[in-house]
Amino acid sequence: MHTNPRKKLSRRSFLASSLRAALFGTYALSASARTKTPWSNWSGGLSCSPKGRYDIAAEDQLIDLLRETSGPIRPVGSGHSFSPLVPTDGHLIVIDQLSGVFDHDSQSMQATVGAGTRLGDLGAPLFEVGQGMLNLPDIDRQTVAGATATGTHGTGMNFKSLSGYITGLRIITASGEVKDIDASHGDLFDAARVNLGALGIVTQIRMQNRKSFKLKKREWTAPTEELLRDFDTLAESHRQFEIFPLVYSDYSLALAIDETEQPIGQTIAPAQEVELADLRPLGVDAKPAEKLAMNNRLAENAQVSEEIDLSYKILTNVRSNPFNEMEYSVPASNSAECVREILKTIYDEAIDVDFPLEYRYVSPEDPWLSMAYGEEPHATISIHRSAFEDYRPYFNRIEPIFRKYGGRPHWGKVHSLGHDELNELYPKFRDFKEIRKALDPHGRLLNEHLKKIFAA
Amino acid sequence: MKKKILLLAVVFSLLLLNCAADPEQQAVTYVEKDGNEINEKVLGKWNRSCALCHINGEAGAPIIGDTTSWSEITLKGEDALIRSVLEGLNSMPPLGYCMSCELEDFKSMVKFMVGSG
Repeated sequence: MHTNPRKKLSRRSFLASSLRAALFGTYALSASARTKTPWSNWSGGLSCSPKGRYDIAAEDQLIDLLRETSGPIRPVGSGHSFSPLVPTDGHLIVIDQLSGVFDHDSQSMQATVGAGTRLGDLGAPLFEVGQGMLNLPDIDRQTVAGATATGTHGTGMNFKSLSGYITGLRIITASGEVKDIDASHGDLFDAARVNLGALGIVTQIRMQNRKSFKLKKREWTAPTEELLRDFDTLAESHRQFEIFPLVYSDYSLALAIDETEQPIGQTIAPAQEVELADLRPLGVDAKPAEKLAMNNRLAENAQVSEEIDLSYKILTNVRSNPFNEMEYSVPASNSAECVREILKTIYDEAIDVDFPLEYRYVSPEDPWLSMAYGEEPHATISIHRSAFEDYRPYFNRIEPIFRKYGGRPHWGKVHSLGHDELNELYPKFRDFKEIRKALDPHGRLLNEHLKKIFAA
Repeated sequence: MKKKILLLAVVFSLLLLNCAADPEQQAVTYVEKDGNEINEKVLGKWNRSCALCHINGEAGAPIIGDTTSWSEITLKGEDALIRSVLEGLNSMPPLGYCMSCELEDFKSMVKFMVGSG
């Protein structure tokens, strides 16, 4: 398994290539001379050389495959995880053909979808049957299986993660046994909704949806301290509310989303796009005080933007600017203080980063491995770094701050925690391990990373 | 320093760059072009991955059959092209979202898009 910065045709490409070569080596063979096709995640930060890929076209094929083979396997969605859940020297199980809306119920407003469906491919077919997903994460190219396996969430103090809206799912265990799981299965259901791809291969998922709806998104800038002070009020008064605290700035971008019956359209024109380089007119060596002054001027000149569209078009996006990300949930009671400490650390230590933080609430929920498991409200805080840069110095410096505030890591994002730390943070971690061992006693689904976190 | 540069745009260019793909436009069943052959299985993989960007040119992706764009790209040679697919290039992620693709699949897909398949 490798951890790599990505490649880009830019002024940074030489540096990135050199860094990569120095740290991790380069592919020694030309493309035509390779015998195995490597795998990389979306950011290029992770890679491996799987023995092969099983391209699954139907559940029966998967069942037969699992019954007839015995080697190590790992399911892969669209490769959007930044943590090494996928890398394996065994076989990858690819389920993107298990896609689409399989059935729906207009009374319960539930729909069964193929687990390999990309989130961005669900909105339109669900809309056609009058349904909309209650909430969605930002990136639309994740698969339903991948997003739910990692506890991926959207924004909103009254909204659960995607896993929290699962009402049933089908898992094919490592030995090929079919398990249809719903709330009547108690512990198994609570374990399976955030499963890290460690309980089996999920082939279909039934989601609780609602009547299709439109949303209005409003964005503006305001002083970070003002937004942190009023955060609870704003989070309660909008369907969804979050902020992007700008580094080297006293300001944040605020984002509020509310349901609307107004017609679709751009009510206030969006801002024009500018290049990354525009953020660094002072150069990378500018002093923090110089960056602060410049960023504050930018923020003070920012304009409000408003847009109305169908819910799934407002909530998810295609992201084509690759990055690596670390995200922790921390108890909401002191999450604002955690944000302040991160911003202060970046400023005081002149950490070279441009990406803003992301700060939002998620609803408490009951899937065992959810970042928001339990009764206590949690906020999540994300940090990002361009995929063309080495994220480790920045993430390694900030992670102890998350830990200090009792943070739980997002399973699909960068973190360094091992079994003992995770066991402390997740009250049902031990119970999850027992279910995992019962469903996969020979550890066929375990890779290096999962062995580490489960101490298996 | 241009005062009119808008912070919202800066933030979005950094964190939230949106290539504005319309999911409804992505649900494309590709009709095979004359002279471009690709087997059905690989075409299915192409439809579920490369097509996301290479039909509409999302995020600056060269459009299938755009001989002008592709003729420049093919000057790099097959090895370099396949390396770009495997490692990612600009906005294209490594493997171009095709998690099931093997090297031979990528080679077929590139030829297909270039128009020499």
